[in-house]
Amino acid sequence: MELAAFASFAVLVVAWLIAPTKTAVVHIESVKKAAEAAQAA
Amino acid sequence: MENINAGDTAWLLASAALVMLMTPALGFFYGGLVRRKNVLATIMHSFFILCLISVQWVLWGYSLAFGPDHGGLIGGFDWLSLRGVGQTPNPDYAPTVPHLGFMVFQMMFAVITPALITGAFAERKRFKAFVVFTLLWATFVYDPVAHWVWGVGGWLRVLGTLDFAGGTVVHITSGVSALVAALVLGRRKGLGSIPIEPHDATMTVLGASLLWFGWFGFNAGSAINAGGLAANAFVVTNTAAAMAALTWMTVSWLHKGAPSVLGAAAGAVAGLVAITPASGYVDVSAAILIGLGAGTFCYVGIQLTKRLKVDDALDVFGVHGIGGMWGALATGIFATVAVNSAAADGLAFGNPAQLGVQAIAVLASVTYSAVMTFVILKLIDVFVGLRVPEDEEVLGLDASQHREAAYTI
Repeated sequence: MELAAFASFAVLVVAWLIAPTKTAVVHIESVKKAAEAAQAA
Repeated sequence: MENINAGDTAWLLASAALVMLMTPALGFFYGGLVRRKNVLATIMHSFFILCLISVQWVLWGYSLAFGPDHGGLIGGFDWLSLRGVGQTPNPDYAPTVPHLGFMVFQMMFAVITPALITGAFAERKRFKAFVVFTLLWATFVYDPVAHWVWGVGGWLRVLGTLDFAGGTVVHITSGVSALVAALVLGRRKGLGSIPIEPHDATMTVLGASLLWFGWFGFNAGSAINAGGLAANAFVVTNTAAAMAALTWMTVSWLHKGAPSVLGAAAGAVAGLVAITPASGYVDVSAAILIGLGAGTFCYVGIQLTKRLKVDDALDVFGVHGIGGMWGALATGIFATVAVNSAAADGLAFGNPAQLGVQAIAVLASVTYSAVMTFVILKLIDVFVGLRVPEDEEVLGLDASQHREAAYTI
């Protein structure tokens, strides 16, 4: 069981290394409105 | 009084206070996830339940759950309004602390359980319907199931079910009831066509952090003494919460392209849910695996629920239902007498029968909670009406149900 515990944590560490570093921008309504307001000002 | 142990009593009373904190923390966890027009109503669900069940529990709830047994099913009325529950320890439940201390510790569990369900019907339930539902649900679902699992003579306890701090009693009952409530109430107006976003993610993360803090009382307090078992429960609780948070964040990162903050918070709660029944029976390696499973299964479960277009608004079934079932079954896999000599080994230690017992407990609690919740909701719909009218839903529950606003700035 100790081995499985170490292995599962190792899997997470590897996943962090291969996970995307640049993400597509997601349009969150409140964020979009704030950006528009800032632009208008 | 000579049997009372000061350390045990101090720890149990402090644990009761820690568990009490979890209910307002849940209010903030849920409050941040709803739109700003519903935040006050959502927090009120938790705060109101803290008050309502505090009174229900001392009047009849504790007696039904822990009072002298009737057929393995219910506790009866012997301890109504705490008659006979005093400063002397009850040797069956807590031999070294005052019976009143054990009662108030259990009260806080009875309080938070119906509060968990409120996340499923957030932003659309009539307040009066919520009040009646909570009182009926606590009496006809929570109290009997608590007796089955924890009450002396309860049929699941006699069968050998292991549920250290409430995986079956608290999380499966509330999670399954939440799914039924979401199905009976139907979807929120505009869901899928207008953006429905959490209004304050910081409030949610703070709520999750306070839940985590309170959970040390929930699980380590369930040892009912200030000894090694409490320390084990404390350590495995923290480990599973951390591992599940890391796992959920990682799975969501790989799935959606970004490491979600709300995902990490939800993952921590899922890990806390899953370790709850196991915390007095498993070691730290098992806690890591339980956390890994919680972060994965709960995340996948929520994606499936959303795909089926069930509006479980704040993912109560995904976190508490699925997390609770995984925790109950994982207890049957990873339990070991090396941690708790009064318990039993699980599948991983050569006792597959324990997994079967845990599966029976899961099946019984799922079926009973689902049927009873459906009946209660249908009755309330006939006599009170479950949902607010459409115009009130659009206006928001803070204004329509409470005539107040959360923010004036």
